[in-house]
Amino acid sequence: MLRHRFTAEDFHRMHEAGILPEDARVELVRGEIFIMSPVGKRHMAAVKRLMDLLFPLQQARKALLQVQDPLRLSPENEPQPDLALLAYREDFYRDKVPEARDALLVVEVADTSLDYDLNVKVPLYAQAGVPEVWVVDLARDRVHVFRRPAGEGYGEREALEEGELEVLGLKVPVKEVLP
Amino acid sequence: MTRHKISLEEFHRMVEAGVFPEGLRLELVEGELMEMSPIGKRHAAKVARLTALLAPLVPEKAILFVQSPLVVGESELYPDLALLPPRPDFYEERLPEGKDALLVVEVSDTSLRHDLGVKVPLYAKGGVPEVWVVDLEGRRVLVHREPKEGGYKEVRALGPGESLSFMGVGIPVEVLL
Repeated sequence: MLRHRFTAEDFHRMHEAGILPEDARVELVRGEIFIMSPVGKRHMAAVKRLMDLLFPLQQARKALLQVQDPLRLSPENEPQPDLALLAYREDFYRDKVPEARDALLVVEVADTSLDYDLNVKVPLYAQAGVPEVWVVDLARDRVHVFRRPAGEGYGEREALEEGELEVLGLKVPVKEVLP
Repeated sequence: MTRHKISLEEFHRMVEAGVFPEGLRLELVEGELMEMSPIGKRHAAKVARLTALLAPLVPEKAILFVQSPLVVGESELYPDLALLPPRPDFYEERLPEGKDALLVVEVSDTSLRHDLGVKVPLYAKGGVPEVWVVDLEGRRVLVHREPKEGGYKEVRALGPGESLSFMGVGIPVEVLL
């Protein structure tokens, strides 16, 4: 007996047919449907801060900011990262679900989900070749930075409690990310 | 993060929406979709033999469902064989449920653990009054009667030389082994 694994195509067909609960935040991880836990106020605030800090990149048309929308990593993996910075496109991805190769940066904010983010999602992002991932750890007030994807992990990783993050030439103070 | 439990209704809508490839055999087991293993020739032959033995009951006394859906609680299982009370529409209007069933038979080739550990308790929960598990490896038939929450009160193992009987049809155990 094998558990049936859905593909991202199946997943979208289900969405279109209105099969999955409308208001639930769901993601496809290794062919299985996961319901994402509701987020707390600090989590929401952290996402808003990140949007504010990264928005200049969108205004400068260097990238597009995506918040809690799907990112297709492979046929069986389509998570909804808290935030993704995508390669700029004139049509704002009207006709395609953004894929791993479109992503410049993925950010996950973790209050209770740290273990899942670090041990399940980061390896998936690495495998799909997402060049950089930040995991904002609200419990310990630090940001885990992952760069240089290699296999199921990242060649470069550090945990920052202060100092600056940098993406596409934009400097982001760690303290400003943490609410 | 919690794994989404698929409901019966969602499962049926997925089938209608064409989410699954044709020919994929799936069971919904307590919110999870499980792919059923292909059936070997020994397994297939035993099911065919049982079907032949129980055929005299059809259609006056019972309807025979072979590897067809049976709803038990929020699960939809495909027992090898289910004997159901006759209905003029042959259950076209609604799927049969555990409490409708008269008898369920599972033939276990390699799936004994899954059948005894997962399916039999679900049949008990769904109110199936009697379940036979044909254990091909162990050369015995496990007869379960008197469902209660989570299992059956009476479980008997019958071996070669003994015989089963249901609604007046006698079946020597060795025919099934």
